[in-house]
Amino acid sequence: MNKQHGYLNLSEQKQQKKLNLQSWILTAPAMLWLTFFFLVPYLIVIIYSFLTPDIYDIRFEFSLESYRQIFSGTYLRPFLISFRMAFLTTILCLLLAYPVAYFIARSKEKTRNTLLVFIIIPFWTNLIIRIFSWRIFLATNGVLNDILMQFGLISAPLQIMRTDLAVGLVMVYVYLPYMILPLYSVIEKIDFTLLNAAMDLGANEVKAFFRVTLPLSVTGIFAGSILVFIPALGAYLITQLVGNQKSLYIGQVITYKIKNIPRNWPMASALSLTLLLIVTLLLVGAYLLWLHNKKRKF
Amino acid sequence: MEDIRIEHLSKDFGGFTAVDDVSLEIRSGELFSFLGPSGCGKTTLLRMIAGFEIPKTGRILIGNQDITELPPYQRQVNTIFQNYSLFPHMTLFDNVAFGLRIKRTAKMEIIEKVRYMLSLVKMEDQSSKYPDQISGGQKQRIAIARALINDPKVLLLDEPLAALDLKLRQHMLIELMNIHDAVGITFIYVTHDQGEAMSISDRVAVMSRGQIIQQGPPDDIYERPTSIFSAYFIGETNLISGEVTGIEDEYVQVKCDNGAGEFFEIDSTFHFHPNIGQKLTLSLRPEKIAVSRFKPRHQDDINILRGVIEDILYLGSHTQYIVRVGKLKFRVFSQHKRVYFDEKALDWEESVWLFWHDTDTWLIAEEVDENGRNQDFSTEAPYHRALKRSSPGSE
Ligand SMILES: Nc1ncnc2c1ncn2[C@@H]1O[C@H](COP(=O)(O)OP(=O)(O)O)[C@@H](O)[C@H]1O
Ligand SMILES: [Mg+2]
Repeated sequence: MNKQHGYLNLSEQKQQKKLNLQSWILTAPAMLWLTFFFLVPYLIVIIYSFLTPDIYDIRFEFSLESYRQIFSGTYLRPFLISFRMAFLTTILCLLLAYPVAYFIARSKEKTRNTLLVFIIIPFWTNLIIRIFSWRIFLATNGVLNDILMQFGLISAPLQIMRTDLAVGLVMVYVYLPYMILPLYSVIEKIDFTLLNAAMDLGANEVKAFFRVTLPLSVTGIFAGSILVFIPALGAYLITQLVGNQKSLYIGQVITYKIKNIPRNWPMASALSLTLLLIVTLLLVGAYLLWLHNKKRKF
Repeated sequence: MEDIRIEHLSKDFGGFTAVDDVSLEIRSGELFSFLGPSGCGKTTLLRMIAGFEIPKTGRILIGNQDITELPPYQRQVNTIFQNYSLFPHMTLFDNVAFGLRIKRTAKMEIIEKVRYMLSLVKMEDQSSKYPDQISGGQKQRIAIARALINDPKVLLLDEPLAALDLKLRQHMLIELMNIHDAVGITFIYVTHDQGEAMSISDRVAVMSRGQIIQQGPPDDIYERPTSIFSAYFIGETNLISGEVTGIEDEYVQVKCDNGAGEFFEIDSTFHFHPNIGQKLTLSLRPEKIAVSRFKPRHQDDINILRGVIEDILYLGSHTQYIVRVGKLKFRVFSQHKRVYFDEKALDWEESVWLFWHDTDTWLIAEEVDENGRNQDFSTEAPYHRALKRSSPGSE
């Protein structure tokens, strides 16, 4: 009646205002929390990255020295080995997780839940404890070497601990569930009669997989890769506890800048921000790619 | 020709027999239907022909080739799945092109063939859309194009119209027949809807509990059912138990117990040789019975019964009367044709005459169970209202 197309009448406007107020009140605690414990600290980090280091603390003098060093390539190596490791971890996780997720998604409803619990069980143990058990397992006189020697497969113990191999192994172990779960949730939703349809149209099992199942699980692959790649990129605990000190990862470098005297807060801040920037650019790039593919659709 | 022969095909699911010793011959170019209630094994039979299930025993042959053990992708058979199963990540064009791309057909040929197929199913202007952007009927068309582009010898359709609404269903049914005429290959059509099967098929196989009960052209199955099941499942019918008392030329006399201790006699034609004293069942289609308040002129080849109207149900194209004769109840359909019956409308509790031609009674050499029930269905009187509804405002 008095409601015109595209406009809200008076009572509706009031209602809208009320709704707005309600949503403000409801989201306020979360907003405050994020402002004080996320936004403000980040601002501090950004400010710090433009200041001058002191032995223990900082001096409030503007300086671009940290960024100059970063962009002149001083820290290229830790960045590169971190990216390489994160990349390899992601690929390995994907290759290992896909069959597992597929198997779980295709098993009976009851078994599925049991299997999922097995995937989640490791989360119940503290990460540090799990890494330490890997140390015991991989050590020169550790479980793995004992077993291999027992069976006469090797004559002298293998030096796995404190190598990049150890870092890789533990990374894959720690981040594997983050790949399995998103993959599972996507594969589980695939209508498997589509595979029947593909085979009906002449595709054998392999072709049906590559033309139907795999394309339909792309969002899961994407989500899982992000969930693995980003934490693997900044990993500190794993690299510190099983890696060697000669090839430092970026997480370790940042920590040392704060831990070791003379401290260099600005450098640590600048390195963190650079890492953040790279990750953000990667994500935005990936998102744009995804949008582009989606646009074809609409 | 590439006829399909199915020989003694059986399939078990953990001890449960879904398809039980089915033998069939389907002629090349035929539109053949499997018709039966849900769960009778139609889909399982179809999936064995498509290659998704391997039978326990029996063989499937196309022409002279035994395809029983071939994987689906090596059979020249394509399927329209119950929910169409279009690939959601591909455009309609890519969906239709799927089979050709698998075969690595040349690009130009693909474009040409896909165009032709899309025009065959009248979807040529939508080829760049995705499956979730089109309607059920359109998905159906794409599924047909996607299957036919592979030049199959046989097209299998599993309840292809079940998901569509009534008008669209009728429309697609005609369209399917046109497509069948255009491509000239064998169609095997699965449905639980007898109307669909009747109107589309060259021949129908009626299935129940994994077995084929009867096969033949639709009118044959409707007019001359060989079992209580086909008589009951296809269309509506009145089933009356009786005993043969006499045989005379092409007619038999059957004595029927009306349940109230009285007997009446019905004449019937027959398709097998009954013996005097044999117990059997009569099938009488409701639309073959005439109902009138005036006694018809006596004729030798007409059956006449007297009964009382127990229910009247107006159904638009016709009216259904439930007429009680003794304790038996007859369902009668009467079309609204004033040219024939220029009389005042029949009313509840009115005493009427039922009459029909002897040749419209059909004899089935099976007995209804003692309590009037078979496992699959009941031959009890059709459900009806107990009392006349008073029309508001008329009192
Ligand atoms: N994969 C299967 N596992 C176990 N039982 C099945 C399977 N497929 C079908 N059945 C059973 O076989 C019977 C026939 O099924 P189906 O062929 O789908 O019937 P229809 O298509 O005639 O409705 C049903 O009782 C069904 O429960
Ligand atoms: Mg079915």
